[in-house]
Amino acid sequence: MSAPDFRVLVVDDDPDMQTLLASIIAGEGLRAETAASGDAALSQVLASPPDLILLDVVLPGIDGFEVCERLKQDAATAMVPIVLVTGLGDSASRVRGIRAGADDFLSKPVQREELIARVHTLRRLHDMRRELEARRLAAEVARKEALRSAFSRYISPRLVERIMEDLARDGTPFARAPQRSGVVALFADLRGFTRLTERMPVDAVVALLNDYFAVLTEAAYRHDGTIFSMAGDNLLVGFNAPFAQPDAAARAWRAAHDMARAVRPVLDRWTGQGGVPTGVGFGLAAGDAIIGNIGSPHYMHYTIIGDAVNVAARLVELAGPGELLVAGSALGGAGDGAKRARPRGKLELRGRGEPVDVYSFPL
Amino acid sequence: MNGPSYKVTVARDLEDLIPVFMTNRRKELDTLRVALAAADFEQLRQLGHRMKGVGNSYGFNHVSTLGKYIEEGARSGDRASLEARIGEYADYLAKVQIQYE
Repeated sequence: MSAPDFRVLVVDDDPDMQTLLASIIAGEGLRAETAASGDAALSQVLASPPDLILLDVVLPGIDGFEVCERLKQDAATAMVPIVLVTGLGDSASRVRGIRAGADDFLSKPVQREELIARVHTLRRLHDMRRELEARRLAAEVARKEALRSAFSRYISPRLVERIMEDLARDGTPFARAPQRSGVVALFADLRGFTRLTERMPVDAVVALLNDYFAVLTEAAYRHDGTIFSMAGDNLLVGFNAPFAQPDAAARAWRAAHDMARAVRPVLDRWTGQGGVPTGVGFGLAAGDAIIGNIGSPHYMHYTIIGDAVNVAARLVELAGPGELLVAGSALGGAGDGAKRARPRGKLELRGRGEPVDVYSFPL
Repeated sequence: MNGPSYKVTVARDLEDLIPVFMTNRRKELDTLRVALAAADFEQLRQLGHRMKGVGNSYGFNHVSTLGKYIEEGARSGDRASLEARIGEYADYLAKVQIQYE
């Protein structure tokens, strides 16, 4: 902080003392402000806290001790250093000043050199404290950013935001009870993956999978999808969960198209390397689901569970390479694209009582 | 005239403040006289306390000394002493010589 930015409030009801102290302060290149009563001082400090207060004890109305006490009890002003300027030389007054929270004392009559020395000492301490506070805040921001960045490699950025907000508010992520909501579930699954893993070294498979998931997650995030599961070569992306998206089905539809387009060069490369033709199948369904923490106190999984997820999971098993199978419940998301739908009729899906209307789209 | 004790040296950068300071001291003297006539010892005590704080701060040590005596005299209700000190204050204000350095 440059010197003129350092503001000193001089509180004294004696105009001569007020003028003298303000003049000495200004002579040191600092900014002096004045108040002539305890009430005026409180109003001024609360409106715009200065960097230091020189506070006379004997004041009309609220005395200096009480002004000091009130300012030190208020979190917004507690850190402002206060020097009690007093002609009361008895130790009882000093003790009272210490109890009121005064940072230093100055006796009247004021010795000019002593005043200057104290002001500069408190200014240095104040600057140091501000610098430490700024460093602490910067370290806190850096720590949170590192945490956010690390988390973002494992879960959706929007979920990271939710976790950080929950941590700040409740101290526990996803402390809220699981909620029921309409969701759109999109599954993506690699065809030919098992054969590919048989032919390639494990470390090469990991590298290939990283490429594969990189393009899929990028497409999911582009449409604000939330990734709930990534297992083997299978990806589950949810829409309208946990954040409201009135156009969830359309987002899921666009995400599937983007994924199919973006993954094509990756798959071509794999085919060239492994000699096994590969492709990605997609399953899409809409319906009610439970969103929240599922698991035990020792291991939690934030996920979506419900019929839409089951149907989409079954559809992705049936989808061929480059094919999107959509349940009737999610067909609305296709918009004009629905014209290209090839009805596959009512399909019996494993583990489900009622058959489901299914539509096929080439991607 | 008490020559040496009535000479005051004030810091050059306070020179601008001294005219107002002296005007206020003369007003203070009038108020002291009124308070003494009214036997208002509380006001006399407050005025003495203020003189004690402000005098030395500007380099006018004798103002602080007189203020201390006036504060004490008011506390004890010593009217004769107060009269003498206020008279001394009037004499001081009339004769004080100020130098700046």
